[in-house]
Amino acid sequence: MNIRPARVDDLMGMQACNLQNLPENYTMKYYLYHELTWPQLSFVAEDQGRIVGYILAKMEEDLSEGDEPHGHVTSISVLRSHRRLGLAKRLMVQSQEAMATVYRAAYVSLHVRKSNRAALGLYKDTLGFTVRDIEKKYYADGEDAYAMRLSLKHLAR
Amino acid sequence: MPPSGIPAKRALPPKESSLFKEVLNLYESKQLKKGLKTADLILKKYPEHGETLCMKGLILTHMGRREEGLELVKKGVRLDLTSHICWHVFGLIQKGEKNYEEALKSYTQALRFDKENLNILRDAAHLQTQLRHFDGLVETRHTLLRLRPNLRQNWIGLAVAYHLNGNLTETKKVVEHYERTLKNVPDYDVEHSEVLLYHVRVLEELGELAEALNLLDVNAKSRAIIDRTAIMEYRARILSKMKNVEDAEHTWQALIQQNPDNYDYFKGYFSNQGLDLFQVTEETRDKALQILREFSTQLPRAAAPRRLALGVATGDEFKQLAEAYLISALEKGIPSLFTDIKALYKEPSKQESIQGIVESHRERLSSPSPPSPSSESEPPTTYLWTLYFLAQHYSFIGQHINSLALLETALKHTPTLPELFMFRARVLKRLGDPFGAARCMDEARLLDLQDRFLNTKVGKYRLRAGMEEEAQEVLGLFTKKDASSPGADLEDMQSLLFLTEDASCHHRNGNLGMALKRYHSVQKVFNEVEDDQYDFHGYSLRRFTINVYLEMIPWADRLRSHVAYVQSAIAASQIYVRLHDDPSIATKSSADNLTDAEKKAKKKAKKAAQKVQEEAKKGHPQTSATEDKGLEPGPAKDDDPDGSKLLKSTDPLDRAWKFLSPLAILELDDVEAWIAIYDVAVRRKKFLQAVRALNRVHSLDPENSELHVRLVHLRHIVLSLPQPPPEPIGPVLAEALDKLLSPEVSLETYNSQYLQQHSTSARSILASAKVLHLLGATPAEEIDNTIFNIFNPEVQVDIEAALDVVAFLRSIRSARVGEFRAACDKKFELSTVFKAPAELISLRRKAIATIEDVEKANGEKTEVVT
Repeated sequence: MNIRPARVDDLMGMQACNLQNLPENYTMKYYLYHELTWPQLSFVAEDQGRIVGYILAKMEEDLSEGDEPHGHVTSISVLRSHRRLGLAKRLMVQSQEAMATVYRAAYVSLHVRKSNRAALGLYKDTLGFTVRDIEKKYYADGEDAYAMRLSLKHLAR
Repeated sequence: MPPSGIPAKRALPPKESSLFKEVLNLYESKQLKKGLKTADLILKKYPEHGETLCMKGLILTHMGRREEGLELVKKGVRLDLTSHICWHVFGLIQKGEKNYEEALKSYTQALRFDKENLNILRDAAHLQTQLRHFDGLVETRHTLLRLRPNLRQNWIGLAVAYHLNGNLTETKKVVEHYERTLKNVPDYDVEHSEVLLYHVRVLEELGELAEALNLLDVNAKSRAIIDRTAIMEYRARILSKMKNVEDAEHTWQALIQQNPDNYDYFKGYFSNQGLDLFQVTEETRDKALQILREFSTQLPRAAAPRRLALGVATGDEFKQLAEAYLISALEKGIPSLFTDIKALYKEPSKQESIQGIVESHRERLSSPSPPSPSSESEPPTTYLWTLYFLAQHYSFIGQHINSLALLETALKHTPTLPELFMFRARVLKRLGDPFGAARCMDEARLLDLQDRFLNTKVGKYRLRAGMEEEAQEVLGLFTKKDASSPGADLEDMQSLLFLTEDASCHHRNGNLGMALKRYHSVQKVFNEVEDDQYDFHGYSLRRFTINVYLEMIPWADRLRSHVAYVQSAIAASQIYVRLHDDPSIATKSSADNLTDAEKKAKKKAKKAAQKVQEEAKKGHPQTSATEDKGLEPGPAKDDDPDGSKLLKSTDPLDRAWKFLSPLAILELDDVEAWIAIYDVAVRRKKFLQAVRALNRVHSLDPENSELHVRLVHLRHIVLSLPQPPPEPIGPVLAEALDKLLSPEVSLETYNSQYLQQHSTSARSILASAKVLHLLGATPAEEIDNTIFNIFNPEVQVDIEAALDVVAFLRSIRSARVGEFRAACDKKFELSTVFKAPAELISLRRKAIATIEDVEKANGEKTEVVT
C-alpha cells in the first residue's frame, strides 16, 4: 500500500472512504478547507489508485490562553478490507511528523466515540494517546467523546 | 446644486444624501431592518432613485425576500445605468446565484464607473479566476497591486495570475520583486516558507534548475523554508533533473527513510538511476532487484520494497520472494492480500506460481499430522485466510464454483468471519444472483453491526438486487436521524456511491423518473464542488498556500472526468434519448410498471418531501424576518419528489446535452461517452458533432459493436434527409462518414459482413440484430433467429451481454423474449436474474437475513456483536 501526502486529486476518494466507513461525514468544502490550509498534514493510503485509508488533519486555530500550538485529527479511517496492515499507524505517524516540523505543534489531539473500543485501543495502545477529558454529547446523536492527546515534543527539531 | 459630475437623477439633497450613506453603513453592519426603513425614507420622496432601489433590493434579498429584491435591483439598474453601486449590487446578487458569467459582466460595468474600487476589483478577480478569464485576471491583479502595493497578498495575486495565464517569466519577476520588498520576516513563518517554495517551483518549471536548487538550499539552511518533506522532495526532484545522480540518490534515500511506504519515492530513486521501476527490462532486472533487496534489509518493517520486488522478479527468484511475502501475510491474516497482489496476474506465469504456492500451503495446513515442526506454530486462522485467499483467486480466474466450495469449507471452520460472507456475496453477484448476494452480505453485516463498511455494502447489494426501499432502510442505521430519509442525508453528504447505485437501481426497475432525479442529484454534487473552489481564489492568497492552490485549479477543470459523473451523464442521457424517441414512456413508466414495494416507496418519498416542506414552513416564523439569510438561495423546495416532472420535460435532448457537454469538452477516452454524445448530437441534428463522436469511437475501438450500429444509423439518417445539409456541413459530413463506412456497400450487406466477421461475439450478434431492426425490412422472426445464434457453443457470452439482449428483445416486443430468458437461466446455472417475474418476487423476500437466521445457521458458536 502506497502511503503519501494527500493531494487535491485525492479528496473525492477520501470523502468516499469516509462515507463508507464512518458515521461522521463532511461535504467536499471541508476537505478542501483542510487541504488548502494545511496541505502538509493530510495523508492517504492508496491501493492501485483507490484510496483505502486517510488521515484528515489540521492545526487548532483558536488557541485558548496559555495553550500551545497543536494539531488536531479531524478524521482518520482505513477501510475494513485493508485492516491489519498497520495503515492507520503509518498515516498517523506521517501526519504527526509534519505537525511537529512544519507547525511546531506541541501535541496532537483527537476525539473518539466512547463506544468505539477498537479505535480507542488503537489510539491508546498502538499510538500512545491518553484520555484528557470526556466531552459530553460531542456527537450529533448525543454520544460522549473522549478527548485524547499525544505529546509531539520528542519530534521537535 | 449637486456636486459636479453626478447626474441629476442620482443627486440627492443633503438630508437624503446622508440617509443614503446611512443605508450603506447599515448594510455593511448587516442591520437589515434599519437599513430597509432608512431606504424607504429616501424612496418616499425619490421613488426613482436607482441606487437606493438597488440597496433596498439587496437588503430584501438578504432578508429572504429574494424575488421582490431582484425586481427592485433590476429596476434600480435600469434607472441609473452609470452607477457603480447599482452594477455592483446587481453583480453581488448574480454571484450569490452562482451565475458567474453575468456577475462578471455587471462587475465590469461597475468598474467602468469606478475604476479603483478595491472591493469590486477583488470580487472581479475571483470571478475571472472562476471563469478562467486569465487575461482579464492579470489586468485586474495589476490594478490591485498598483493601488495597494503594501498588501503582500496583492503581489502573490499577480504572480499567480501570470502563472495561470501561462506566463512564468513574469511570475518569476513579480515574486523576486515581492521578496525584495519584504522586511523583518519573523522566524518560522509558514506563509513565507510557502512563498519561497513557490519561487523554487517557478524556477524549476522554467528550467532554471541551478538557480532553483540554490534558492532552495540557501533558504532551507537558514530555516526560512521549514517544510522538511517539501525541501527533500523538491531537492531530490531537481537534482535528478540536473543529472546530479549521486546527490539526488542521497536525497531520495532520505525520503525513503522518512516514509518507506511511499511508492513515489522509490520510483524517484530508481528513475534517478535510469531505471523504470514499473517497466523493468532484462538488462535492468538484476540491478533493480539488488536495490530492492538492500532496502528490504535496511527497512525491515516497510512493505513497499518487498511488494515492489514481486513486480520486478521473475522465475524462481519470483517464487522465492512471493512465497515469503504470501505466507507472512497469510499468517498475519491480512484481508487485502489478494487485492494487493492480483495486479501481478497480468503475467500468467506469476499467477500460476502464486496459485501453486498458496495451494501447497493449504495442503500443508490441512493435512492431519503436521509434517514439519515449523507448521506446528501456525495459528489456526492461517488456514482460514489461506482458504479465503484461494477463494478470491479462483473466482478472479472465473472458477466461481471452486471458489464457493472453498468458502463453504472456511465457513464450516469459522462461521463468524464477516469477510467470508462478504466474499461469498461477491461470488454470487458475479454468478448473476443478486438476491443471494444481498442476503450473504446481510449475514456478514449481522456479524458486526457496528461497522458502517459492512452496512454500506449491504445497501449497495440490495440496490443491485433492485430492493430500493430495503436498501434505504438498512443504510438508515448509520445516517442522521433528523434527515427526512436516509437517502436525503446521503445526498446532503454528497455520497456518489449511494446516488449512482440508487439511480441505476431505479433505472433497472423501470422507474425512470426517480432514476433521472438521482442522476440530476449527481450533477448537482459536481456543480456544488465546482462552486466550492470559488472561495479559495481569495482564501489561498490570504493564507499563502499557493502551491496547493495551483493544484486545485486543474483538478476543478477535470472534475467531471470522475467516473461517477461520467456514468451518470451517460445513463441520464440514455433515458432522455428514450423519452425523446418515445414520449409515451413518460406516462407508462410512472404508474403501471411499479411493483407494490415501489408504490410504497413512492408514497414514502412524497411524505418525506412534505415533511421537509412543512418543517421549512414551520421554521419560517421562528427565524426572524430581519435575520441575514445571505445572498445564496437556500435549498430549493423539492416539488418533484418522484421525478415525474423530469419525465415530462419538454426539452429532453437539451437536458441530455447539458449532462454530456462537459464530457465532450474533456475529450475523455471513453467509448460509451462518445456513443452517448453521438446519440444526442444526431437527434439534435448536430451532424458534424455526431460524426466526430463516431470518429473518436473509431480511433479508440474500431470494431466496437455499438459503433457498428451507430454507423449504419447515421448513414440511414443521412440518406433519409429530404436534402443534404447546407455547405460546408453537408460535404464535410459526407466525407467523414464515407471514411468510416464505405458508400459502395449496401447497409444490408455491410451488416451481414460484420456479423460474419464477429460471429463468436454476443455483443456483435446483438449489434447486427439491432441494425436489422433499424433498417426495418427484416421480418421479426429473422431478427429473433439472429439473436438466438448467441447460444451457439462457440459464442462467448456473459451475463451482462445476455441481459442487454433481453432488454433489446423486450424493446422490439419480440415473441421469443421468454424463451430467450429461459435459455439464459439454464445456461447461467447459478444465476437468478433470468428468472420469471413471479419467481423474482419470492427471491427478493429471501434476500434479507435476520439475526435469528444467522444464529440458527451457525449454532451456538456465533457471538453476534450488537
